[in-house]
Amino acid sequence: MENISFGKIFLSHAKILRIMNVKVLSFFCFFVIITPYFLQAQESQIRLLNQPLELRVNERVQLEAEVLSADGVVLADTVVFFSRARRSLVVSRDGELLAIKPGVHIISAMTLGPDRIRQDFEVNVLFPPITYVEWEQAEHTFYSGTLLDLMFEIRDSLDVVRSVDELFISSSDESILSVNDFNQLSLNDVGSANLTVIAGTEKFSWPVKVLENKATALTMKLTNPSSEPIKTGDVVHFSTHVEDRKRNILAYMPVQYSFIAYPNDKLGQGNSAQIAQDGRFVASHAGKYSIIARSGAIQTIMNITVQPRNIRRSLEVVGKGIVPDVKTSDLWVWEGVDGSDYAITGTWGARGEAFLWDVTDPSNIHTIDTVKVDARTVNDVKVSEDGRIAVITREGASSRKNGIIILDVTNPSETTILSEYTDGLTGGVHNTFIYENHVYAVNNGRKYDIINIEDPRNPYTVGVFELDTPGHSIHDVWIEDGIAYSSNWGDGVVAVDVGLNHSSDMPGANGSPANPTPLGSYTYPSGWNHAAFPFKSESTGKFYVAAGDEAFPYGLDTQGPNRAAGWVHFIEFDGWDNPKEVARYQVPGAGSHNYWIENDIMYAAFYNGGLRVVDVSGDLMGDLYEQGREIALFLPTDPNAAIPNSTFTWGPQPYKGLIFLSDWNSGIWAVKLGALQN
Amino acid sequence: MAILQPNKQYSITKSFFLYFILLLLLSTIDINAQIYQVYVTAESDDLVQLVSFDAASNKGWVDITIPVGKLPTETDGPHGLTISPNKKHWFVTIAHGNPYGYLAKYSTENNELMGTVNLGLFPASMEISNYTGLLYVVNFNLHGVMEPSSMMVVDPETMDLIAELPTGIMPHGTRMNSKGTKAYHVSMMNDELIEVDTYGLDITRTLSLKVSMIDDSAHEKHNTETTQDLVAELKAMDGSGGRMSWMKEMNASKPANEEKHSSMTYHRPLVKPTWVDTHPNDQWVYVAGNGSDEIIEIDVENWSISRRMPTGKLPYNLEVSPNGKYLVSSLKGAGATSIIDLEHGVELARIPNSRRVSHGVTISPDSKYAFISVEGVGGEPGSVDIICIETQELITFVETGKQAGGISFFTTLK
Repeated sequence: MENISFGKIFLSHAKILRIMNVKVLSFFCFFVIITPYFLQAQESQIRLLNQPLELRVNERVQLEAEVLSADGVVLADTVVFFSRARRSLVVSRDGELLAIKPGVHIISAMTLGPDRIRQDFEVNVLFPPITYVEWEQAEHTFYSGTLLDLMFEIRDSLDVVRSVDELFISSSDESILSVNDFNQLSLNDVGSANLTVIAGTEKFSWPVKVLENKATALTMKLTNPSSEPIKTGDVVHFSTHVEDRKRNILAYMPVQYSFIAYPNDKLGQGNSAQIAQDGRFVASHAGKYSIIARSGAIQTIMNITVQPRNIRRSLEVVGKGIVPDVKTSDLWVWEGVDGSDYAITGTWGARGEAFLWDVTDPSNIHTIDTVKVDARTVNDVKVSEDGRIAVITREGASSRKNGIIILDVTNPSETTILSEYTDGLTGGVHNTFIYENHVYAVNNGRKYDIINIEDPRNPYTVGVFELDTPGHSIHDVWIEDGIAYSSNWGDGVVAVDVGLNHSSDMPGANGSPANPTPLGSYTYPSGWNHAAFPFKSESTGKFYVAAGDEAFPYGLDTQGPNRAAGWVHFIEFDGWDNPKEVARYQVPGAGSHNYWIENDIMYAAFYNGGLRVVDVSGDLMGDLYEQGREIALFLPTDPNAAIPNSTFTWGPQPYKGLIFLSDWNSGIWAVKLGALQN
Repeated sequence: MAILQPNKQYSITKSFFLYFILLLLLSTIDINAQIYQVYVTAESDDLVQLVSFDAASNKGWVDITIPVGKLPTETDGPHGLTISPNKKHWFVTIAHGNPYGYLAKYSTENNELMGTVNLGLFPASMEISNYTGLLYVVNFNLHGVMEPSSMMVVDPETMDLIAELPTGIMPHGTRMNSKGTKAYHVSMMNDELIEVDTYGLDITRTLSLKVSMIDDSAHEKHNTETTQDLVAELKAMDGSGGRMSWMKEMNASKPANEEKHSSMTYHRPLVKPTWVDTHPNDQWVYVAGNGSDEIIEIDVENWSISRRMPTGKLPYNLEVSPNGKYLVSSLKGAGATSIIDLEHGVELARIPNSRRVSHGVTISPDSKYAFISVEGVGGEPGSVDIICIETQELITFVETGKQAGGISFFTTLK
């Protein structure tokens, strides 16, 4: 390319023509021609007469707008309005505006017709004033030289909980008490001062009397001692008392916990342990730990040694049934009425088949029957407790009437269709559960229908459960002791009383299949909640719901190997009102799907991460994977599978000392836990 | 910057000459070579495919396969498909979501996703008005309790939802008149044709399609609850007309197959209209009577039924040829395609499709070829059947993903 200085361009017309080719000139001419049109178009505008737009929550206003031509003449065009934030601001197309949520939102005004113009306008919905601030520690006793995390309950005029970040917190005398950027209160000296909070135009104030700190000793102890050595994953509980010279316990004395780690592995190992400020400690890696409790200027240390969990066991393949041409979905294994053992598996994106297997000899798993229905996916398969009735789901029926198919599996070699039930279920059923003569069928991803199958040839719907949250959705449902636990993506896990029985450890609400009654719920931010499995810890008696994710951030290739994401969330329910997410099991590079928990052992399908067998005994805290709680791992692959030599494990089921699992790519497998490998 | 060099002029002249010779040679080889392209959905495979047909060789093939949907291990169900008037984008309705379906916009240049907007339950057919530039789509909502649904209006440039109009039960088959001023759809369970003013964003007229009502349309309104009555009731129940308030079902103990509200009862549909298209001259609108096995012609000006043309079993989709001479309809139950001569109102041919469950119809702008999407059953692939309208023959078919559904003509390559 010729190097031309800017100045040379102006030397002569001829030179310009030489250095500018025809394309450049064409573009120039084109822009010269179209620029006036652009300018004219840009000058037409919509003028909003209500500017500036500032509303309070629930306030309505009628928008007024006019369309101006390039010359400023008001045109007769109709202007329609719509909201860019429909959940925060509702506007009718005629411009009736209703503010719902505080914040700055956008509405658009648009003319109709081929040369329509559109403009966006900001609407400021004012945050309601904070009218209530309660300092939760106001009644405590305060000691000089200590530090505590401030805790407030903050609500606005609409009774909505507001953030502490919206408060301006100050002290009337910083030599007595002061507040740092982390909203921690430092009690600097003996005396009195006021803690003041300003929230908008509201002001709240509390007198604080700081007493002399007479603490002389800290006593820390283990509250859940064991004769066994502490192992990785064990949650150790510490409690600390602060005492004065006379050995009196000082109430409300704040204590901060921390630790120093001396892990056995010193080769750059990270994340060796964690400690909560209520005194719970768990180590992910073996080593020595100094637990430090501090209150004011005094502290105490307790040293503990954490040993490896050493629970690793081998897994041996007992048998497999390879499905070579279609993808396998869910499975169910049961003892037939003849005493033999059987399994049923579904198929995905295929010919609408469910396969029945004889697994009595797990080293010789073989098909004994195939049920074919008008569908592309038979996603879920379930068998009744008495082993006589199976329910399979349908998606992709050619008639678009999907629903469920009820099978007689009394003789699984000659399975017969008892009925096809589609009433209200035409949109597709993805998952089901059979419980006490009722089928709970996830209906079109929207709700679950409860269907009486006492007479399996004549099923009928007796109840429906559906959330009322905006954009609600459901993926799965599982029943335990008369409580249905549904998995609802963004709405998390929802527990519903559908006829609580006496063996339940949780309280009910007089629900029944015809009157499903909500009990409690738990949501988490990712919106990936896909499955839920309730269980009572046999070792602690605590009640948990294991809530599993499903996510495919890397997409899904139906013709090749895949990767998934997501993990299992452990939510502790102590009653229905105060669920707490206490732990997780997350496999790096893989994602959770279905799982089963029995005798404090979780059997989890992790798609490309295969089958994982996990020790969930004792208290749970932190990442169970990091803590060495994984007992075994198995990656099913087969060269003759639908997707050869690739793992994508769908669901497990422990059964008679074996673990059966279905794998999307390859079919059904039976494996057995082997010897300890430590 | 490139600068022309004098010594290159000869070579350019030579090149032009060579190109001219080459063009001459090509034109003598096949001067009529023409490739027609359609986009088609595969509802049970979550795919959209670009299918080409070479009119010279009578061969067709799948050009591009584009996976669509958000829930990889579930069937999202791409159903309706339309292409923007400037051919720069294609739009597909995805039937299932969380739980509402949505509209997705893709570039025709590289078939990359450009944006989505949430719609209602099982959004289906749609079209862009060349008058307002907006996209009008109906929420078919064919699953569960039969209840009034809605038409949604979307700005296809920004993918913003602009308006939601309450309409009848199971609306389907949105098509525009030639100016784009009126959008027509049918309410399958109300047996009605519905006309929407695309500018005013309002339902302007409804017409009962029932046989007994042909000669007494005034009487029908007293006996049958029409879409407009339902809409009025819904508005009275809920001033905002928002979908959540009136689509929400109670967690009641009533069986799902019971009607929830006595005021929302609907009569058993007889015609079950599933599709509508307009004649290019805007004088007539044609409706597929899926339940009554007929094509119904409506005089737009008089807003009355002018003809009923019997067809084979379960006519489902239809399209009027751009030259206005033919009406091609898919006969879902017969697994066939029907060609009707509109001047005489007679069926010229009933052509068996390549497999069962015929679905959508689109016709090339030159009125020569009809492209029929055929769903198939179970594990069977779907197909696009290519029918020559003139000779009334199935020329060839192209196998697609499972349950081929929404289909739209894209372009003609020469």
